[in-house]
Amino acid sequence: MVGAGGIGCELLKNLVLSHVGEIHIVDLDSITLSNLNRQFLFRQKDIDKSKSLTVAEAVEAFNYLNVKLVPHHGNIMDSDLFPVSWWSEFSYVFNALDNLEARRYVNQICLYLKKPLMESGTTGYDGQVQPIYPYVSECFDCQPKATPKSFPVCTIRSTPSQPVHCITWAKEFLFAQIFDETSTNDQSEADRANQRRKLESETEDKAEIENMLRENDEFNELRNIVKSKTSTKDSNFFEVLVNKIFSTDIERLLRIDSLWKSRRKPTPLRIESYTKALKELSAERSAKDIVVDETRVWSVLENLFVLQAASSALHERLASSESFISFDKDDDDTLNFVVASANIRAFIFGIELKSKFDIKQIAGNIIPAIATTNAIIAGFSCLAYLNYFNQITSSDSFHKAFSSSSTIFTSIRPNKYITSAALIEPSKKCPSCSHARGILRFSPEDLNNMTLEGLIQLIRDHYGFDDDISVILGKSKLIYDYDLEDNLQKKLTEINGFKAGETLLIQDESDALENLELYIDTNTSGKTLFPTLKLKEKQMDNDGENKDEDMPEQGEVISLDDDEVVELDEPVETRKRGKESLDGSSKKAKL
Amino acid sequence: MGTQLRLRSTKILLINLGAIGSEVVKNLVLGGINSLEIMDSSKLKEEDFSSQFFLPDKPENIGKLKVPLVIDQIKDLNNRVNLTINTATFESVFDYEDRANDYLSNFDLIIATEMPKAFMIQLNSYTRKLNIPLYVAGMHGMFGYVLLDLIKHTSVVTKDMGNQPRRPNTKINSNKLISDVSYDEKEKKENITIIDTYKPISEMFSSKELPNQLNRRQLKRLSAAFPLIFTLFDVEKPVYIEDSLDVDMLREKASLVCEKHDIPTAVITDEYLNFFSRQAFTEFAPVAALIGGCLAQDVIQYLSKKESPINNCLIVDTIRSEMPIYVL
Repeated sequence: MVGAGGIGCELLKNLVLSHVGEIHIVDLDSITLSNLNRQFLFRQKDIDKSKSLTVAEAVEAFNYLNVKLVPHHGNIMDSDLFPVSWWSEFSYVFNALDNLEARRYVNQICLYLKKPLMESGTTGYDGQVQPIYPYVSECFDCQPKATPKSFPVCTIRSTPSQPVHCITWAKEFLFAQIFDETSTNDQSEADRANQRRKLESETEDKAEIENMLRENDEFNELRNIVKSKTSTKDSNFFEVLVNKIFSTDIERLLRIDSLWKSRRKPTPLRIESYTKALKELSAERSAKDIVVDETRVWSVLENLFVLQAASSALHERLASSESFISFDKDDDDTLNFVVASANIRAFIFGIELKSKFDIKQIAGNIIPAIATTNAIIAGFSCLAYLNYFNQITSSDSFHKAFSSSSTIFTSIRPNKYITSAALIEPSKKCPSCSHARGILRFSPEDLNNMTLEGLIQLIRDHYGFDDDISVILGKSKLIYDYDLEDNLQKKLTEINGFKAGETLLIQDESDALENLELYIDTNTSGKTLFPTLKLKEKQMDNDGENKDEDMPEQGEVISLDDDEVVELDEPVETRKRGKESLDGSSKKAKL
Repeated sequence: MGTQLRLRSTKILLINLGAIGSEVVKNLVLGGINSLEIMDSSKLKEEDFSSQFFLPDKPENIGKLKVPLVIDQIKDLNNRVNLTINTATFESVFDYEDRANDYLSNFDLIIATEMPKAFMIQLNSYTRKLNIPLYVAGMHGMFGYVLLDLIKHTSVVTKDMGNQPRRPNTKINSNKLISDVSYDEKEKKENITIIDTYKPISEMFSSKELPNQLNRRQLKRLSAAFPLIFTLFDVEKPVYIEDSLDVDMLREKASLVCEKHDIPTAVITDEYLNFFSRQAFTEFAPVAALIGGCLAQDVIQYLSKKESPINNCLIVDTIRSEMPIYVL
C-alpha cells in the first residue's frame, strides 16, 4: 500500500479486517495537525511522527486476525530503498497517493513487473477506483491526466509571481491562520519542529525558514487580538494586521538577499500614505457599493477599504457568536477579506490585480478532501481487490479479472450513488504501456566493465534492431544516436547517471520496430540477463485512427517478465469505450 | 449558519453500534459532530471482532456489555466530542410511549442500524410524531441498505447552468420537487430549492412504486438484492451467525416480496439466493465502510441544507457494483 493518508488509513483498516496475509505500507510523510480531521488512525500525540509507522501501530489495536504489517518510511520512488527485487515480492499493489508523479512511477513499476495495481483518488465528493491489470486493461497513463495545481510553500509565503499565489496565500494561509479553527494558538514544540522540517524539505535558505517561522508566531498574536472579547470599536486589529502583513513582513523578506538575486523585489506598502484617503473614502456613502462591484478591478485604496470593512465584520462575528470562521466563497465577509488581502499583496509584488469575480472563481476551485468520500472509495478499493483474488485460480487471471472488474466513480444522483464502468483495453497510443519493456539485470562485473558500444551491440543482437537506433537514459538524457558517438568507448559506469533504478529507452530511428524500455537492475548472483521479448513491428499511423477502437491483434506479444514470453492467443472481447455498464451481468464475483 | 456550526449543534442518537454503526460514528466524529449518544444493550460476541474496529483486541471481553468497552477509543478520535452511552434495552424505553417521547425528543437526528423490522416501525412512529429525521441501515455480507424517513426537508443546491434552465414546480421524482430556482447569470449558476418529502418506513414494505421508475428492461434485470434484503426483514436472525438460511424458504418468501412490490419474480436467481442464504446478517468490513460512508455523508449533507438527501431507499449490491436509490 503506497500512501498512508486519507484513503490509506481507511484502506488499511479494511484490508486488516478482511484478513489479508501481509501488508507493507510505504509513506514518506509525517503527520500534521491538518491530517487529524480525516485520517482517523492519527491522534494529536502522533503529530510529527512517521505516517507509515504510526498507521501500522494504530491498526494493531484492532488487528484481531493477526495480519502481518510492515511499515516503510521513505519515498516510494527511491530505487535504492525500494529496488525491483523488493517490488517483485508483492502479489498486489494499492496506490493511495495524492500526487501524480508517484502514481506514474508505481504504474511504471507495475508494468515492468506485471503486478495488478489498484489506483484510487478523491476530490471533494468525487472519488474513483480503477483496477489496472498491466497490458490487459488501461494503465494509469493510457488516459492523459490534467496536472493538478499545487505550489511550494515558499512560493506562496515568500516569492509569489502570479495572482493565484497571492490568492492561495490569502485564503489558505492568512485567513486560515487568523480566523479558522485548523490552526491552534498553543503550538507544540513538535508542531514547530514539523513545520521547520517541512520548510527545510523545500528550501535550503535558513534565513527564509526562520522568517516564516517567526511570521507564524506573530499570527498567533493577531489571532489573540481577534479572539479577545474587547469591543471591536476599540480594537486596533486592522492597523496591526495591515502593518504586519504589508509592511513589516515584506521588509523582513527584503532583508533575505538570496531571495532577490534573480527576482523582482517587492515594495512594502506605506500605510501612512493611505490613511487620509481611506478616512475620506470611508465617509463617502457610495463606498459601500465597492464590494458589489465584482467585475471591476479595485484600486489599492479600495482594496484597503474593503479589507478594513471585512476585518471588522469578521472580528465582530468572532466577538459575538462564532468561535471560528471557515473560508466559504459564498460567505461575503470571508471572500472580501481574501480578495482585498490577495490584491494588496499582488500590488506589493508587482503582480496583476484581479476582480472579486475572478478571485471567487480561483479561490472556490481549491477543493477540500472529504473523509466520507475517502471511506467510500477505500471500501470499493478493498472489494475490487478481493474480487481479483477470487479469480486467480485461473492461469489467465488478468483476463478473467478484466471482465469481472469495474472502474467505479462516486456520482450521487437521485436514482443512484455510484456509476460503474467496464474496464477498457490499453490505449495503443499510451506513452507507458504501448511499447515493450523489461528488466535488464547486469552482473556487477558487466556493469563495471562493459562499454556502451558493447551494450548497444548486445541490444541489437537480442532484439533485432538494425544500425539506426538512439538510446535515452532516464527521462531525457540522450546517450547515443547516429551522430552522438562520444560515449561509445566509455564504460557504462562512466556515463553520468547510469545506475540501477534508471531506465533506458531504445528507439528504432528507421521506424521498423517498436520502442523498447529497459529498467536497469543488478543481478548479484550471476551473469547479465536480458529480458526475453519479441518486439512488434511498428504500426504506421496512417492506418487510421479507428484502429485503436478495433479488436486487438491476436497473438500479440506483450510480455515483460525477465524470462518468459506470454502470447495472447485467446480472443478478447471488445468493450464499449467509456460506456457505463448499464447491466452488471458481466460481474460474476463470488464472495 | 455554516455547515460546521450546524454539525456542532446537532445532537445525534445512534442505536446499535455494529460494523455500520462503528463506521458512521467514526465518520461523523471526524466530520465535526459534537454531540452523540450511542444506545446499545448488546453483549460482545465473537463475530463482532470481524469488523468492529473500536473494540479492544481482548477476547476475554466476550459476554460483557459492548458499548462501555469502546467509549474511550471513540473519544480518542476527537476529545471535544460529547459522547454518552445508554445500555438500556430497546423494549424498556420504547414500549412506553411517554418514556420513548421523553427520551427521543433529546435528539435532533436518529440513526438506527441492524434493527428488527417491528422495532424499526415502532421507532419510526415516534420519530414521525416528534418530527425527528430517521436513518435506518443494515447489511447482509456483500449487500446492504439505508432507508430514510427525514419527513420533509428543504435544501438549496447550487449547480452550473445546463442547456435548459431548471424551472420551479418541476418534479425530479415522486418525492423530490424543485420548488424554486434563482439564476445567477454572471456566474452561470442556478440556486435550486428542492423539497424532499418522505413517507413512513412501514409504507415502504408494501410500495408498488418500483415499476413506475424503472423501464421494462431495468425491471427485468433488477438485482435480486432489493427483494432479498426486504425478505430478510421477515426472517429471524439465526442464533449462530454461521448457519445458512434455508434456500427454499428464502425463495418462497422472496417471491411474495416481489409480488407485493409488483416486480418480476424471475429476478430472484439461484446465485443470489445462495449469497443471501450464507451471508444473511453477517458483517463485512469493506461493505460496512461503504454504507457507513454514504450514510454519514448524507447526514452531513442533510444538515448542511446544500444538497438534497437520499430519498428514500439506498440498496448496496457490491457483487454487481451497484448502489441504486429507489423511491418506495
